[in-house]
Amino acid sequence: MLSFVTKRLGQSAVLVLIMSALVFVGMYVVSDPVAVLAGEDFTEEDRLALAQELGVDRPLFLQYLSFLGNVLQGDFGTSFVYNRPVMDLILERLPATLEVAFFAMFIGLVVGIPLGVYSGLNQKKRSTKAISFFTTVGYSIPNFWQGVLLIMLFSVWFKVLPASGRGDTVDVFGVGWSVFSLDGLSHLMLPALNLAIYTICLQARLARSGTQEVMYQDYMTFARAKGISRERIIRRHLVRNILIPIVTITGLQLGGLIAFATVTETVFSWPGIGKLLLDSIHNSDRPVVVAYLILITLMFVTINFVVDVLYALLDPRIRYT
Amino acid sequence: MKTALAIIGLSAALTLPAAAQAETLRMAFSSAPRSIDPYPFGGTPTASLKEHVFEALVAADDSPLLAKSWQWTSPTSLEVKLRQDVAFHDGTALTARDVVYSACRMMYLIDGKRNLLTSSMGPITDVVAADDHTVRFDMKAPYPLWIQKMKFLSILPAAGADTPEGPITYDDQGDCGGITYPTRAEFEAGAAAIGTGPYKFVRFDKSGEADLIKNTNYWGGAPEWDEVQIRTIGNAGARLAGLLAGDFDLIENPTTEDLPGLKANEDLTYTAVPSWRSIFLVLDVNAEGAKGVRAEDGSAPLADQRVRQAMSMAINRQAIADRLFGGEATVANQFSPKYRAGAPELAELPHDPAKAKELLAEAGYPDGFEIDFYAPSDRYANGARVAQAVTQYLSRIGIKVNLKTEPWSVFAGKRRENELGVFMYGWGHPQGPAQMISFAFASRDKELGLGSSNYSNYQNDGFDAAMKAWAVETDETQANAYLGEAMRIVVDELPGIPLYYQHTIWAHRADLEVNGRQDERTSATTVSRK
Repeated sequence: MLSFVTKRLGQSAVLVLIMSALVFVGMYVVSDPVAVLAGEDFTEEDRLALAQELGVDRPLFLQYLSFLGNVLQGDFGTSFVYNRPVMDLILERLPATLEVAFFAMFIGLVVGIPLGVYSGLNQKKRSTKAISFFTTVGYSIPNFWQGVLLIMLFSVWFKVLPASGRGDTVDVFGVGWSVFSLDGLSHLMLPALNLAIYTICLQARLARSGTQEVMYQDYMTFARAKGISRERIIRRHLVRNILIPIVTITGLQLGGLIAFATVTETVFSWPGIGKLLLDSIHNSDRPVVVAYLILITLMFVTINFVVDVLYALLDPRIRYT
Repeated sequence: MKTALAIIGLSAALTLPAAAQAETLRMAFSSAPRSIDPYPFGGTPTASLKEHVFEALVAADDSPLLAKSWQWTSPTSLEVKLRQDVAFHDGTALTARDVVYSACRMMYLIDGKRNLLTSSMGPITDVVAADDHTVRFDMKAPYPLWIQKMKFLSILPAAGADTPEGPITYDDQGDCGGITYPTRAEFEAGAAAIGTGPYKFVRFDKSGEADLIKNTNYWGGAPEWDEVQIRTIGNAGARLAGLLAGDFDLIENPTTEDLPGLKANEDLTYTAVPSWRSIFLVLDVNAEGAKGVRAEDGSAPLADQRVRQAMSMAINRQAIADRLFGGEATVANQFSPKYRAGAPELAELPHDPAKAKELLAEAGYPDGFEIDFYAPSDRYANGARVAQAVTQYLSRIGIKVNLKTEPWSVFAGKRRENELGVFMYGWGHPQGPAQMISFAFASRDKELGLGSSNYSNYQNDGFDAAMKAWAVETDETQANAYLGEAMRIVVDELPGIPLYYQHTIWAHRADLEVNGRQDERTSATTVSRK
């Protein structure tokens, strides 16, 4: 297990290094922060002074080296646009994204898995066909369009849920959370639902195919023959065995929800890191983009690692040596 | 301390809605203000927010605001009399000392970063409080544009900082006898966000949210709204949905497509105001040839005035305004809007494709030539579509156009590297009607601040002489006469091609009246109940 961890850590470090270099070079090639930030009345001297302030007047590899040096000391740099430490900006926005991603994932699992197991067990029922139809549609609707549809439905026609923003937040551990206030929760509903629909459908389909496969295994027949109650068979034997693919997908999807909730955050004006990333790319705010993508890489690496460990817990046959 | 603040914030949040119901104005901006500190950042959203809280000596339309009047006592010395009935939000009265302090703060580099006027205040040698309500600006050379620039110098209270005893002595490092200024964080937390404006600061959040409350002691009379909530929604569809859902009373910049729907909706409507932003093409007229412009004989077609006139004639400006903007754009016949005070009167630019073809043939390009035409895709309303229309108009007279629309961040970099031979651009003219041509078409002159954006590589002695005279002329009428002369020359020579002036559009509840500003800013002071 220990050598597995160290090997993983080594790979992650290399991955992050490659990522940062790619993004750094990419942003450098594509856009020029001085041109974006300079006023029209800036003389050439003003522009040079601005480039010096931003630290972009030096050759690219020197910029990159000093960036790496700073990162090793925990300093991800200062945003060109906001003049504030990048980590502050990201950490300020992160809770909003985590909140909506976890909430959506929670809805997705709680609704999706039972739906899937139910339709796997009752293949011929009419309700199963309805579920199957719903999951196919929900799985294929573009996220963006679906968000606008939700707004039309719940905000414009029924006027029951607000269309945008975070609402009132309640401070817990010094960070504002929407989920703890009624107003905040009502703001959270639509973006979370928009993210959750896809998750529900995906989980339901995974759980259904898993159920269908596991149901006809010999050990299921044996368990039934032994006279174990139906409920116990489902909980102990069926669900546990279909969980492995579900855990994999859930892990990756959670990462996806956090990293790429951008579309949903845009539609619902949810002030999370996705919106920050978009704005920063738009403003060629390189420090923010680079730091964000490094963090996201680290997050995916961590999630994958946790998933691997979970496998071992779920399936006694898997051992890391 | 933090907990105490949190409790105050929470109780405020709980008690506000009840008191607010009818008197709160909820506005949605289309992009986020960057700070409540009025000094480091320009940009329309930041200015829109800060002008609720802070005011300058000069108003957006160049009329006196916190100043009562001003006078040039010599070509290099401007004396400004202050209003005597103005108080800051903390209760202290506005005096000349506050203006000197504000000038110092503008020159003070926080974290080594420059402020809005750091370079514009270069010619200012001294700022002196002559008496309690008189300020004198001394300059090393005549600098009449300072009056327009002063609108960016928001006035802050000297009492908000740690200042030495006695009068403040100005210097261009902002040290001024050892002042300790409030930090950005103190502005954004609200402690230092004290101005003289109609609304007082309550809360600011970097995602573009701000809450403001009425300044009951405002010198200009009681403001219309008890509270103002500003939110930012970048996506136009989501912004409109927020208005339809009743989350907002007013939103910025609905799309042209949404206007008919707003007209049909009886609860909502929109207000469109011609803005100072003019949209135009820039042509690199360099006789050596321009990047991305190719003629078969290797010559430089854009250097020929007839070619530029032909390009101008090819474009049907009225059709662009009518079809692409649903009528919400004004056809341009010069480079600053004709309705911007001080702008000259000029004849309409003709649309005549047949004549345009003749002119091209006369110039030696009967079969046209080829250009790469660049336009920012995400900067101006309907920008990419206008660029497509222009491309088609130019194709019709035989010019082969390769249209390249690019995101602003990419476009701006290429422009700075002088890689664009023909491109589309826009100027907002907050500093008066001469602002654009003085930067974009004059020969570079660092002392007078001319020609810093001359990407046309245009050079004309008559024009330069007029601009140089304009730059040092303190008499307004005479300055406008120089401007008129300069404008006539560039509109005749066309180192750029004017297209149209944008309209700023606000969609809002039908029972509100919006007296929208021409400088594109959104302000609660322009919104009233019918």
